[in-house]
Amino acid sequence: MKTIEEINQRIKDGDAVVVTAAEMTQIVNENGVDKAANDIDVVTTGTFGAMCSSGAFLNFGHTDPPIKMTKTYLNGVEAYSGIAAVDSYIGATQPSRIPEIGIDYGGAHVIEDLIRGKDIELIASSYGTDCYPLTELKTHINIENLNEAIMVNPRNCYQNYAAAINTTDETIYTYMGTLLPNMGNVSFSSAGALSPLLNDPYFQTIGMGTKIFMCGAEGYVIGEGTQHNTEVQRKNGVPVNGAGTLMLKGDMKQMDPEYVRGATMPKYGSTLYVGLGIPIPILNNDIAQRTAISDEDIVCQIMDYGTPKRSKPVVIESNYKQLRSGSVEIDGVEIETSPLSSYKKALEIALELKSWINKGDFLLTNPVKLLKSEGSSPRPLSIRRQTVLVNEIKSKPLITANPTDDIRDVAKRMVQNSINHLPVVDADQKLLGIVTSWDIANAVAKGKNMLKDVMTKKVVIAREDEPVDVIARRIDKHEISGLPIISKNNRVMGMITAEDISRLMCARNLKDGV
Amino acid sequence: MKAWLKFSPEMVNKAVITDLIKNYDVSFNILRADINPKGGKMLIEINGSEAEKGIEYIEKAGIDVSPVKRVVKKDTDLCIDCGACVSICPVKAIVVEEDWTVDVNDTECVGCKLCTYSCPTKAIKVVE
Ligand code: SF4
Ligand code: SF4
Repeated sequence: MKTIEEINQRIKDGDAVVVTAAEMTQIVNENGVDKAANDIDVVTTGTFGAMCSSGAFLNFGHTDPPIKMTKTYLNGVEAYSGIAAVDSYIGATQPSRIPEIGIDYGGAHVIEDLIRGKDIELIASSYGTDCYPLTELKTHINIENLNEAIMVNPRNCYQNYAAAINTTDETIYTYMGTLLPNMGNVSFSSAGALSPLLNDPYFQTIGMGTKIFMCGAEGYVIGEGTQHNTEVQRKNGVPVNGAGTLMLKGDMKQMDPEYVRGATMPKYGSTLYVGLGIPIPILNNDIAQRTAISDEDIVCQIMDYGTPKRSKPVVIESNYKQLRSGSVEIDGVEIETSPLSSYKKALEIALELKSWINKGDFLLTNPVKLLKSEGSSPRPLSIRRQTVLVNEIKSKPLITANPTDDIRDVAKRMVQNSINHLPVVDADQKLLGIVTSWDIANAVAKGKNMLKDVMTKKVVIAREDEPVDVIARRIDKHEISGLPIISKNNRVMGMITAEDISRLMCARNLKDGV
Repeated sequence: MKAWLKFSPEMVNKAVITDLIKNYDVSFNILRADINPKGGKMLIEINGSEAEKGIEYIEKAGIDVSPVKRVVKKDTDLCIDCGACVSICPVKAIVVEEDWTVDVNDTECVGCKLCTYSCPTKAIKVVE
């Protein structure tokens, strides 16, 4: 049994024994936990991953005449400024207001550029008051001339996180990166055995006031992060999926761009790569044992991100040793894996923190309140407006065609019923393809006769039990105007068109008074 | 070596490639192809003891051969060694080294650019 005070004394005397979490795994393996708990004073951890829930409070200082800023833009990215007169909060995932730039330069990039010492354009506007008469300003700021630039991240450093796979037959772009179709790859994000909260899984040492390595500077844990979840299933003492989180605070003026980076998940959005390291004081055997966890002992569920629902189905359970090896086997097929967080940087951070402590520059703190280790689980948000499913939409009577139909007949049928899409089916009403009025016009122009020569065979479909909002997104993504509705036993049930959906949205908004 | 073969419309229907494989000691791999009645192009990888002679032969037969000079480059200042690009590459040209540095192998790369679209820091580029 040791106390933080005793460990700090040893740090000051230059006698403390500090190892990284990776080294600790080996030490406990070789020397046993009792000896390790005795010998080792501090275990350092590290992670360098995409943490969307990050941002910074900036205080610009008062102008003359003064302005009470209500809207602020930093290099074209909006910051929230409903806080007094000259404070704002720039969030990592806010995209540029310039459509051509969008997610390619977001709040995360502003934060990185600030830390790099670059000049940032500030545009602010206001409604003007007696004491704050100025209504508009445009100037440049940089980290030097800001009064404060304080990073406050509401949810960082997830304790484990599910890996992602895509079972659909098209590429999807997610916050877990690019996921290739037909289970083409697996993307995972946790630093595994190096990851801070997996080394103190019951929060025996980490809490409000814990001093940490944050983006190359000293930072602090200021409490549980949002969505902190203590009720996730555990194996080997650690949760098998996303669980505990941290709220953090650090001074951006001290940060090092080596350990913080603005990034963009393709076709998803901007995000901030945050470098974090937490020192774990080895106060007793149990804590020592927990820091000895290996990549192999940490289970990670691989989930299907092809399902755009809150609860995604688990495809298989794996562990970080396997994931880090470069591939996993699913149903007899080797599937390549990619980390999304940098293990190289995570290791660098654990080593850097170790050297700070060894040099006597970094003392440990006693948290004023440990993080909650039970009784905390986030609730989902229920929407008042019920999601409408595809089969609840009233669609026009179903009209179909057969592949051997003559083009002219089909054209007539489309005109008579004033429709633009016609599903082509076989005798069992099973979908073979689709034709649009454009295809027909094209076919007539080229002198083709048979429907099967002009129909599109690769058809984007809607399932009966899918929410209409998901279909709206699909229509948008594929730039199409309608898709056939397919039943569970693969029969064509009708068509759903962009028009149907906009009619539904209009009716819905009228009813809700939006 | 890797090369783009460009076919004129007359060439599309001739069995030049078949003859190449029949008559020369080469291993031949098609990495990409885009062929239509108006001609087309094909990215190939050709190896073997008679690769050079084989290329001479198809050039004589009227196919335009341009060796690939595309190189995939990673900007080490921008790259954070996350590894997101690794599993995206169809030919395993991107690897994680022993020290967890992410490295791109230029000779393996087929220039598909999938990695460039997937990198969160836009650190990787394919240049012609
Ligand atoms: S361009 Fe394509 S082949 Fe080349 S490294 Fe990138 S993903 Fe691999
Ligand atoms: S995805 Fe980009 S940043 Fe990540 S390892 Fe590849 S090149 Fe580097």
